[in-house]
Amino acid sequence: MHSSSTSQGENGLGRWLIYGVLALMALVYLLPLFVMLVTSFKTGTDIRTGSLISLPQEWVTDSWQAAWGTACTGVTCDGIKGYFWNSIKMVVPAVLISTFIGAFNGYVISKWRFKGSDLFFSLMLFGCFLPFQLVLLPMAAMLGKLGLANTTTGLVLVHVIYGVAFTTLFFRNYYINVPDELVKAAKLDGAGFFTIFWAILLPISKPIIMVTIIWQFTSIWNDFLFGVVYSGADSQPITVALNNLVNTSTGVKAYNVDMAAAIIAALPTLFVYFVAGKYFVRGLTAGSVKG
Amino acid sequence: MAKLDLIDIRKTYPKSDLETLKGINISIEPGEFLILVGPSGCGKSTLMNTIAGLEDISSGEIRINDVDVSGLAPKDRDIAMVFQSYALYPNMTVRENMAFGLKIRKTPTTEIDAEIKRVSELLQIDHLLDRKPSQLSGGQQQRVAMGRALARRPKLYLFDEPLSNLDAKLRVEMRTEVKKLHQRLGTTIVYVTHDQIEAMTLADRIAVMKAGEVQQLGSPYEIYNHPTNMFVAGFMGSPSMNFVPITVLENSDAHACTELTGSDGKAQLLALPDKLKTYVGKKLMLGLRPEHISQQLSHHSETDLISAARFNIEILEPTGPETIAQITINDHAVHCRLAPDLSITAGQDLDLMIDVSKASFFDPDSERNILL
Repeated sequence: MHSSSTSQGENGLGRWLIYGVLALMALVYLLPLFVMLVTSFKTGTDIRTGSLISLPQEWVTDSWQAAWGTACTGVTCDGIKGYFWNSIKMVVPAVLISTFIGAFNGYVISKWRFKGSDLFFSLMLFGCFLPFQLVLLPMAAMLGKLGLANTTTGLVLVHVIYGVAFTTLFFRNYYINVPDELVKAAKLDGAGFFTIFWAILLPISKPIIMVTIIWQFTSIWNDFLFGVVYSGADSQPITVALNNLVNTSTGVKAYNVDMAAAIIAALPTLFVYFVAGKYFVRGLTAGSVKG
Repeated sequence: MAKLDLIDIRKTYPKSDLETLKGINISIEPGEFLILVGPSGCGKSTLMNTIAGLEDISSGEIRINDVDVSGLAPKDRDIAMVFQSYALYPNMTVRENMAFGLKIRKTPTTEIDAEIKRVSELLQIDHLLDRKPSQLSGGQQQRVAMGRALARRPKLYLFDEPLSNLDAKLRVEMRTEVKKLHQRLGTTIVYVTHDQIEAMTLADRIAVMKAGEVQQLGSPYEIYNHPTNMFVAGFMGSPSMNFVPITVLENSDAHACTELTGSDGKAQLLALPDKLKTYVGKKLMLGLRPEHISQQLSHHSETDLISAARFNIEILEPTGPETIAQITINDHAVHCRLAPDLSITAGQDLDLMIDVSKASFFDPDSERNILL
């Protein structure tokens, strides 16, 4: 930082200015979360009489219970808990499978180059730039033919296919920095194609596995479009349920329930960030440090 | 211990018009230490990789103990390799690194333990067995890499510039270690380097390569003293051999000689071997190593092929054990090795002794050594 090397007076002023700006930015960023949190603990009357940012007159957890168990999402009124588990059932296999396939693809593309492997990688890369909307119809037709329409399995398949482009890119870029000599040494030691992957490359892939899991978990958990298009009534993910909950109008709008439901929907991604977040930056910059 | 025969190895990379290896023929005896040396891009590492089976050859045969292995996968050739970057498996301890190849070959655990004990004691790394490679210094990693190769007791060892990542002092130490190890185990080793000191000190025989061809294959002594062409002569030795264009003359006693012109323009006669009498009137390239031009040495009587000459000393470069001086002969800069305690300053004239008995003579067009 510039100011740290200059004189004391300027140092102090510049520092305060920086802190001030940072604090302001943090405030702007945190304000919506604050509003969501306090609103979710307010009663309906409290919301109507108080201001947006005032603290609840009385802290109640009714809206959290309602959002989880009794709020109406369309025709049913069982809250979002069923959809929460739908999302878990979708996101866990989708993340694990797409991460594993990405690791394997990256291994092959970077360490077992074949004729046309560069072209193959370019085409994979192209997949990262395909908008969701473009694949909606063909994918629906395909799921129908496979008999997977309106199922969680179908959703997992869609997310795996869509995610493999990203996961392949991540792992390929990570493995390209692993010296080829490591693979050569393993070949001379007698290790075959799969042994090299299991015994040599996967064990050193922890940072990039974390990055991929965070990335895939976030994007699959937060996805709405695939969820709304390909899921059936009993396989809808939480994002769809949240939308239904907010849009279901039965008289007065229950903002406190909406807010509680939205926070519940965001908790798993927050959790993943807290657990694996330290690997995220480390993993993204891993290529720049000689391993 | 195994015998290795490389028979007319050719290699052309796909999408390339040029041959990377242009017919390599080398026979390596059991227990021999062969060094492949040459400038970067000469094909020495490619040749090494083809022996290991990491790259295919376009034609030719690679025979280990008279069995053609050129179609075999690397793991079936029973070869171990030590890499420049050591290529230790970062997720494994030293012990696991050394055991990896043995485990894959389904060696019984007791045998693996015994083998690791033997190798780690041999290389003095037995106290490091439970460390990860990242916790080791460069020299220790180097030892572990050698240990991993030794643990499998393969037929053939390949070393791909194994010392070039070490600092200068450690490199000299490890060079001695490698030599000791070879003397003790008597293994067949093919060793790639671009360091000519390493090549001279370690090898039983050296293959000097350039542009995919072996320029000369011979003992360090032969390579140094009887280079087949100007490339080999210039590549080995530091400072490198001086090349001076000369015209062969005949003196009044019907002996071959030539004229050397210093920076002052004065010509002095230099006796040449009589073998060169057939070249009288022709132009040749005289190859003189710096140590063949020295200050006057009293115990060297002036024989036929040691001539005295006086030259102007232009530059002095003291290195400690010797002083490298630069003079000019026939408009070419020439380095000579002088004793370090000689009291002269740059710009002075000095009486020098030129020993032509060890000089090489090259055809200026073909660059071949005409006396071999």
